[in-house]
This record gives sequence, C-alpha cells and structure tokens, in this order.
Amino acid sequence: MYPVRLAVKSLWFDRWINILTVLTIGTGLFILGMIMLILFNIEGVTRRLPERFSITVFLSDDLSDSAGKRLTSRIEREPVVKKAIYISREEALEELRTSLKDAAYILEGLNENPLFPSIEIRLNRDRFDAGRVGRLIEEIRGIKGVEDVVYGEDLLGAIHNLSRGFKTVSGGLVVLFSVAIVFVCYSTVKILFYRRKEEIEIFKLLGATKGFIRLPFLIEGSILGLLSGILGGVGIFALYRAVSGLAASELPFLGFMYFPVEIILFLPAGGLILGVIGSSIAMGRLRY
Amino acid sequence: MIRFNNVTKIYDNITALRNVSFQINKGEFTFVTGPSGAGKSTLLRLIYLAEKPDEGSIGIARWDTETLKEASIPYLRRNIGIVFQDFKLLGNRTVYDNIAIALRIRGYNEKEIKERVHDALKMVNLRHKVGNFPVALSGGEQQRVTIARAIVGEPTVLLADEPTGNLDPDNAAGIMNILREINAKGTTIVVATHNRELFRNTGLRVFRLDNGNLVAEEKG
Repeated sequence: MYPVRLAVKSLWFDRWINILTVLTIGTGLFILGMIMLILFNIEGVTRRLPERFSITVFLSDDLSDSAGKRLTSRIEREPVVKKAIYISREEALEELRTSLKDAAYILEGLNENPLFPSIEIRLNRDRFDAGRVGRLIEEIRGIKGVEDVVYGEDLLGAIHNLSRGFKTVSGGLVVLFSVAIVFVCYSTVKILFYRRKEEIEIFKLLGATKGFIRLPFLIEGSILGLLSGILGGVGIFALYRAVSGLAASELPFLGFMYFPVEIILFLPAGGLILGVIGSSIAMGRLRY
Repeated sequence: MIRFNNVTKIYDNITALRNVSFQINKGEFTFVTGPSGAGKSTLLRLIYLAEKPDEGSIGIARWDTETLKEASIPYLRRNIGIVFQDFKLLGNRTVYDNIAIALRIRGYNEKEIKERVHDALKMVNLRHKVGNFPVALSGGEQQRVTIARAIVGEPTVLLADEPTGNLDPDNAAGIMNILREINAKGTTIVVATHNRELFRNTGLRVFRLDNGNLVAEEKG
C-alpha cells in the first residue's frame, strides 16, 4: 500500500505538470483512437465489398451441362470462393425472360438459344484477398471451355489498394504516436525522478530494494497513462456521438459508421502500458 | 563483526585509504579519528558499501565484499544504521515519517511501525516533536531524529560520521550519551570524528588515520 500512497502523494504534489502530461498523452491517445476508428470503418466497408461483387465465368456453348457442373464444383473448392452456381443455357434464357418482363416478346422470334452457359461465383469475405482472386481468375481463364471471365477487379483492387495503403500509413502513425506518448511519459517521470533524487539516495542508504524505489514511479507512470487513456476514450466517444447524431439528422451517408466498443477499453489499457514503458525507461538502471 | 583486510581505496589517482587492516568485535564501541582528509568518511562509506574497495576485502557480519552481489546490498544495509553529519532527513516529511521510512523499507505493518517509532523517539527524548518537520528542529534535535531513524530497525552495527560535528558541547554530550545507551543494548558502534574530546578517557579503542594510512590503534 505504501508505494501506492507515495505515488498518489507525488502525483498530487506535482499536480500541474501531471495534468499537463495527462492532457498531452490524452490528446495523443485521442488521435490514436481516431485513426483506429477510421481503420475499423474502412476495414468494415472493404470486408463487406466482396459480397456485392460476383465473378461471371462464360463457358463455350458446346460444353455439356455435366462438364459445366464439374467445373463449378472445382471452382467452389477454392478457399476464396463462397459459392459457385452453374447456370445452363436454358436457365440463362429463363432468367433473361423473367428480367425482361413485358418486353419478353422480343425473344419469341429466336430460333435457337443465343446465350452461353455460365458460372456465377460469390466470393468469401472472410478469406478475401485481391491477389488470390486475381490468380484464380487467371487460372479460370486458362481452363479449356472457358470463353470469358467478367469481374469488377479494377474497382475492387483499387479499393483494396487504398485500404492497404491507409493501413500502412495508420500503422506508421500508431507507432509514431506510441513513441511520442512513451517519450512524454518518460520525460514526466524523469523530472519526478530527478526531483526526488535526494530522497532516493536516502532510501538506498536505508536499505531500500530497487523494487521499493521503482514501484511508486511505475505506479505514477501507469496512473498517468490510464487517466490519459480514459480521457482519450471519453473524447473519442463524445466525437462519435456528435458525428452519429449529425449523421442521423443531416448526413445520412455517414449512417454506415460504427463504433467498436473495444476502443473504449483499448485506449486506457494502451495508455497504461505505454505509461509503464515510459516510466521504466525513465528510471534506467539503479545502482547502489 | 567488521573486518578490513588490506583495503585500499583510490579516487582519481588519490589514495583515500592505503592497505588498511583491522577488526571490530561484536558489541564494541570504537572510534575512527584523524584530521580532515585522513580517510575517516571513506572508511565508513566502505562499510555501508557506498563504495567498493579497489584492493582487499571487507567483511561485515556474514557478508563479504568479494562475494556480495549487488542485489544483496539493501539487505546488508538494513543491518547497519547510519548517522550522517548532515543528517540527511527528508525535509517534506514529519519526524514520524522520517523515522518510519526505515521500517516501511523493511516491510513492517503500520501498527508495528507506530510502536517502534515511538520507542525510538523515546530513546532520543523527542516524542514531543513527532509531528514536526525537520526545518522546525534545532541541529541537535535533527541529529537525534537521525539517530532514531538509524536505530529503529534494530541494526547490529551503527555508524556515525561526525555525529557531533555541527553541535554545541551540550548537544554533543547528549548525542554521545544516547550512543552509549544504544551500545549498552549490544549494537556495535563506529564513530568517525576529529574531536578528541569524544573519546578521551573512555578506554575505548580508537583507530587513528592519517593521509589514508592506519597509523595507530590506541585506547581512548
């Protein structure tokens, strides 16, 4: 209990520098939370995209139904494929007739079915990988009996490249902000450590172990980190509430935004860990 | 209890102690004397391991500097009470907290700390100053707080570096009386002083240092 008391007393004694530290780290964690929130949302959107895209494989019209179905089963075994449906020439014509509705009479003059059999492929969103899908398409194109493959790969690829680029930039920013937070915590604890240098020397002479000397500083660092994380989390939640309120009333296109509760837990936990790291580095190696 | 075997300590080419050997027995009250710069403080600092010898070895109770690991130093120091000439009290803590810290470091509970601190303050006759801050105490009172802090953990050895250096003769006599009382309870005491009056006619062993050399071992 004594190290906790010592830490709380010290935090109160140097309260202004500590408030400033909490505000600084809190702002850093708030920005970190924003990056994560954007990342979560982009990830959510890109994960939902494959479901809306499908690949259509047109087969040559002399391919038998049994050969078409065998090919469908083969494609369905691919990990990136969620479902593959074989559509025979007859089914294709029927579908066309249904979709034309009142204009279906234009098909009446046809002597023979002009449509190709095809395979409609739905992608597995959990295992989506633009590179693997590209390779699958190339593989399908090379199969005998395949006439053409139609797929919006350019758009999907672009979105995924954008998402990957954002992830890389975000990763860099997360590292950068984490280092900055550790540095702020390091500086604060270092100042507190120097202020109590004489006291620490006396503690050492009285027989204090390194653990006894370090513990209050580690507690101080973790409290600073935790408070900053709570502040950042509250900030993020307030921002989300404000934006989602605005979305509901004036900007409905923002309605797809979602708020992962993990952020609220991650920021204080992350702040605490970064605080402990910062204060551990600040104390360096104690010598007797 | 304390053994110096051919101990040499050198600071930046200046030899503070040269080939010093002696032994102090358990429960003994001894003095280390000599002029300023003779090596008295260095000798005490070597005992509580604020310094390590460059040559030779030091044994304190069951510990030996040649085999002692850094992690064991705090446990060795808990067996040694130190009284500093400049007191080394924490200015932002009360008398009670200044003494209690020595026990908190040892992991005592608050109830036990309270009892022991009051006993130690009774010994140095300062119970009425328990809530005061060091700045409100005289030099003699501050030195008595330092002694209380040094003895509260019941160390086997008490080191005092010029304990009366900043005090008037009456206060100095009072401090020496307290040290004699502590010694009577079995604590080994080593006092470093340049003041011959402290050991004159005491019949106690005195180690005389000069320029880093142990030049004499005599009776006071």
